Amino acid sequence: MRKGGCLGCAFPVVIGLGLVSLALIIIGFLSGPIGGKIFNVSPPAWMSVHSPEVELPAEEIFTFGPFVIANSVIAAWITMLVLIALSWAATRKMKVIPTRLQSFFEFALGWVYDLCKEVAGEENGRRFFPFVVTIFLFVIMNAWLALLPGYGSISVVNTHGEEVHLLRPANTDINMPLAIAISSFVLVGYFGLKSRGIHFAGEYIRVGGLVSGLKLLFRGKIGAGFGKIFMGAIDAAIGLLEFLSVIVRMVSFTFRLFGNMTAGEILLLVVMSLAPYLVALPFYGLELLVGFVQALIFGGLTLVFLTLAVAFHEEEAA
Amino acid sequence: MEKIFTSLGVNPGVLLAQVVNFVLVLGILYLVAYKPLMKMFDERSKKIKESMEQAELIRDKAAQAEKEFEERIQAAAKEGQEIVGRAVRTGEEVRQKAQQEASKEAEVLIGKARREIQRERDGAIDELRKEFADLTVLAAEKVIDRSLDKKAHKEIIEKVLQDSTVIRKG
Repeated sequence: MRKGGCLGCAFPVVIGLGLVSLALIIIGFLSGPIGGKIFNVSPPAWMSVHSPEVELPAEEIFTFGPFVIANSVIAAWITMLVLIALSWAATRKMKVIPTRLQSFFEFALGWVYDLCKEVAGEENGRRFFPFVVTIFLFVIMNAWLALLPGYGSISVVNTHGEEVHLLRPANTDINMPLAIAISSFVLVGYFGLKSRGIHFAGEYIRVGGLVSGLKLLFRGKIGAGFGKIFMGAIDAAIGLLEFLSVIVRMVSFTFRLFGNMTAGEILLLVVMSLAPYLVALPFYGLELLVGFVQALIFGGLTLVFLTLAVAFHEEEAA
Repeated sequence: MEKIFTSLGVNPGVLLAQVVNFVLVLGILYLVAYKPLMKMFDERSKKIKESMEQAELIRDKAAQAEKEFEERIQAAAKEGQEIVGRAVRTGEEVRQKAQQEASKEAEVLIGKARREIQRERDGAIDELRKEFADLTVLAAEKVIDRSLDKKAHKEIIEKVLQDSTVIRKG
C-alpha cells in the first residue's frame, strides 16, 4: 500500500489525470454544438462531429444470392468471429483445473447453465442450455461490440453507389432481433411438439367441440348441438387467442430488443454529438448494463417459454 | 402493413442472413463451447462425487483400521499379561521346586552329618570307655597297690559303665 495516494495512484498522478479529464470535458463541450453556440466558437474541421442521422433500416453493402449483406450482417459476423474465437481459445485445452480464461468462460456459461437447470429442471435445463446461452451470448456480444469505436463511424460506398456505414450494431437492425425471436419460437414449437406431440398443437387448434357439436346437429339433436357448437366456438376462439399471444410474444421479443438497442445507440450518438469527449462515458456504462439486461431477458424469456412448452406435458401426464 | 415493415427496416434478405448467422453461431458454439464445457462440468461433478466417495471410503477404512488396531493392541496386552502370569507361575514353581529340592538335600546332608556325628560320638565314647577302664584299673592298682586280674576288673568296670547314666551310647 502506498501512503498518501488516492484511487491507487500518487497524488500528483491523480491531480494530473483530473486536469486532463477536465480539459477533455471542456474541449468536448466547446467542440459540440451546445458550447459552440454559447461561446460562439467553432472547432477545427477535423474535430467536428456530424450531427447524427438516424436511419432505421440497415444499409445494404452488397448482395449474395438470396442473402442481403447489410452492414448489420457484417457486424453479426464480427460478433460470431469473436464468440467462436473466444470459445475456441477457452476450450482448446480443457482441464479439470482450469486456466484463467477457461475459468472465466466456465463461470459465465456455468451461470447460465445453472439458471437453465433452476428454471427448467435438471434434464430439460441441459437440453435448453445451448439455445438459451447462444441467444444470451449473441445478444450481449452484439450489444457490447457495438460500443467499440468503428461501429457507425466507418463509411464505405456500397454496390449501389451510396455512401453507407460499414458496421452497424446488429441488434439495432430489426432483422436481427426478429431473426432471434423467430428462431426462439421455432425452438419453442419444436420442443413443444417433440415432447407433447399433438397436445401441443391442440392448445392452439381447438376445433374438437365444434366438430362434435356439428355431428350432434346432423343427428337431429338441435338443442344439444347448438349448445355444443357454442361452447366449441368459444374453445376455438381461446385457441386462436393463444396463437395470437404467441405472435404477440414474438413481436414483443423483437421490439424490446430492437427498441432498447436502437434507443441506446441513438442516445450515444446524440451525447457524442453534443459533447464528444468523456461526457459520453457514463452512457457507455449504461449501455453495457442495458446490453447485459437485454441479453438476459431475451435468453431468460426464451428459457421460460421453452419450459412452459414442455412443462404442461408433465402435468398432464402426472 | 408492408410500408411499416420497410420503414422499420425489415428486409427478407437480411432476415434470412441473420437467421442463418444465428443458426451457424449456435451450431459452431455448440461444438466448440457447449459440448466440451458440459462434458467438463459433468466430469468435474463426477470427479467431485468420486473423490467424496473415496474420502468416505478412506474414512471408513481408517475407522476400521483404528478399530482393528485397538483390538489387536487389546489382544496383545491380554497375551502379554498371560505370558507374564505364566512366567510368574513358572518362576514360582521353579522356586518351590528348588526350595523343596534344597531342603530335601539339606535334610539328607543333615541326616548324614547327624549319623556321622553319632558314629563319631559312639566311637569316641567307646574309646573313652576303653581308656577310662584302663585308667580306672591303673588307678585302682595304684590305689590298692596291687595288680588285679585285669580281665575280671575290666568286666566289672564295663558293667558299672553300662549301668551308669552319664556316659551312654546314643
